Amino acid sequence: MARAGSFVEADNAEAIITRIEHKSRKIESLLKQYKPVEALKTALEGTYAMTGDERCKSAHWIAVHRALMAIKDVDGMLSSLDPEYYDILMKYLYRGLATGDRPTCDQCLRIHEKLTEKAGLGCILRFLTDTVNTV
Amino acid sequence: MAVTAVHQLAQCITCHAWSADRSMVALCPNNSEVHIYRLVEDKWEKMHVLQKHDQLISGIDWSARSNKIVTASHDRNSYVWNLERSEWVPTLVILRLNRAALCVQWSPKENKFAVGSGAKTVCICYYEQENNWWVSKLIRKRHDSSVTCVSWHPDNILVASTSTDGKCRIFSTFIKGVDAKDPKNESRFGELIVQLDLSPSWTFGVKWSPSGNTLAYVGHNSVIYFVDDVGPSPLAQNVVFRDLPLRDVLFVSEKMVIGVGYDCIPMVFAADERGIWSFIRYLGERKAVSSGSRYGSQFSEAFGKFYGQAKQGGSNDASETSRTRGVVHENCINSIIPLSRQGTQIRRFSTTGLDGKLVMWDLETEQDLLELLVH
Repeated sequence: MARAGSFVEADNAEAIITRIEHKSRKIESLLKQYKPVEALKTALEGTYAMTGDERCKSAHWIAVHRALMAIKDVDGMLSSLDPEYYDILMKYLYRGLATGDRPTCDQCLRIHEKLTEKAGLGCILRFLTDTVNTV
Repeated sequence: MAVTAVHQLAQCITCHAWSADRSMVALCPNNSEVHIYRLVEDKWEKMHVLQKHDQLISGIDWSARSNKIVTASHDRNSYVWNLERSEWVPTLVILRLNRAALCVQWSPKENKFAVGSGAKTVCICYYEQENNWWVSKLIRKRHDSSVTCVSWHPDNILVASTSTDGKCRIFSTFIKGVDAKDPKNESRFGELIVQLDLSPSWTFGVKWSPSGNTLAYVGHNSVIYFVDDVGPSPLAQNVVFRDLPLRDVLFVSEKMVIGVGYDCIPMVFAADERGIWSFIRYLGERKAVSSGSRYGSQFSEAFGKFYGQAKQGGSNDASETSRTRGVVHENCINSIIPLSRQGTQIRRFSTTGLDGKLVMWDLETEQDLLELLVH
């Protein structure tokens, strides 16, 4: 029974990784067109539907990280981002901060400050308390 | 201003309850005693001190008609206090718990009361006339973690309970001999009617609307959950809000809820004509201040340190760090109790918090909210 279950999951994971790769290509093209905000939106879209095992989460993080690092105008980005993405963005910011890599942390910290102003402490709390949908 | 009175009655208040005529309030000043105060000519006088529990009293409820006080404590016991002449006489209720009792509430008919415990169970206690004592019946189906709050449905049978496992469960507490048999509602004692799994985090403060059709409870993830048509196919709504989580809620009408919690100011939520709930506003002056100082001095310093790295030492508005937010409660508000009803609507209520203040609120001064209430 367990065997059958994991076989199905592996399949699913492959499908998810393919979709993420597809998204990454879209993100790359958007970045080449100097549209970092669009790129980030693409990266954040549908993340919940695509949560799988660690590999999927890593693949997703790489795509989001790419888009995050390309953002220069944080205020502009946040004002055009749909409020429903605030919570998921906050989760990725903390993942970024956890990497310990200097440029990533600098960028994430910069965005974190502005996002907290916009979304409030509740957004941070939703990241802290959600142990089910982790990124 | 919606605040009508602010009283500093203790250093810290865990819970409170009012007498039927609202002339006396029973509260626990964060120890094992219950202090009963009476308002005498603008001053609060301590009338009684009820000492029987060994540990912190986590819940107090004062029944309106039978004038009994029930207390639940971390010492795993519950006492029902009766006023005999001018003394409050306790009767021990053996709950058969091996963990702390965390919350208690009298049923609408006041013939039963529900206790939520750290033993992951809810006990329903009722009075057995023949033996002249209160019997406790445990609901067999357990939560997966501590039960933080219990609330009775107006029909005196259903009880909703929230827990730190994130779920809200509704049980039937039909007891033969205590409850009248209802042909429409053939449920057994302890039967799980609905299990709501809406929150990934701890849940608190469950309350039923006056008609019993809607249920509201809060999660520790700064979300408040509204469930309409509680039954086999409930309609759930999450209202996400921007600030710190709530601890308790109160239905002031069928369509308006006041939530209180870690932000120290009550929040008003209301449902529009389509039944969609949303956050309306705060019930108090929230000064519109710039980012650094809005959270008060402690947060400001923390944020300053946090962002100081990326900002090359340019910390936030150091001069405004000591500005107070002009709020009434200075610490988390942990309970909200109605003071007066007008039909099924509540216009006045009281809140107590960890700062030891008892604050009375009146919605009469809030014109915009009154308009919402009327519809």
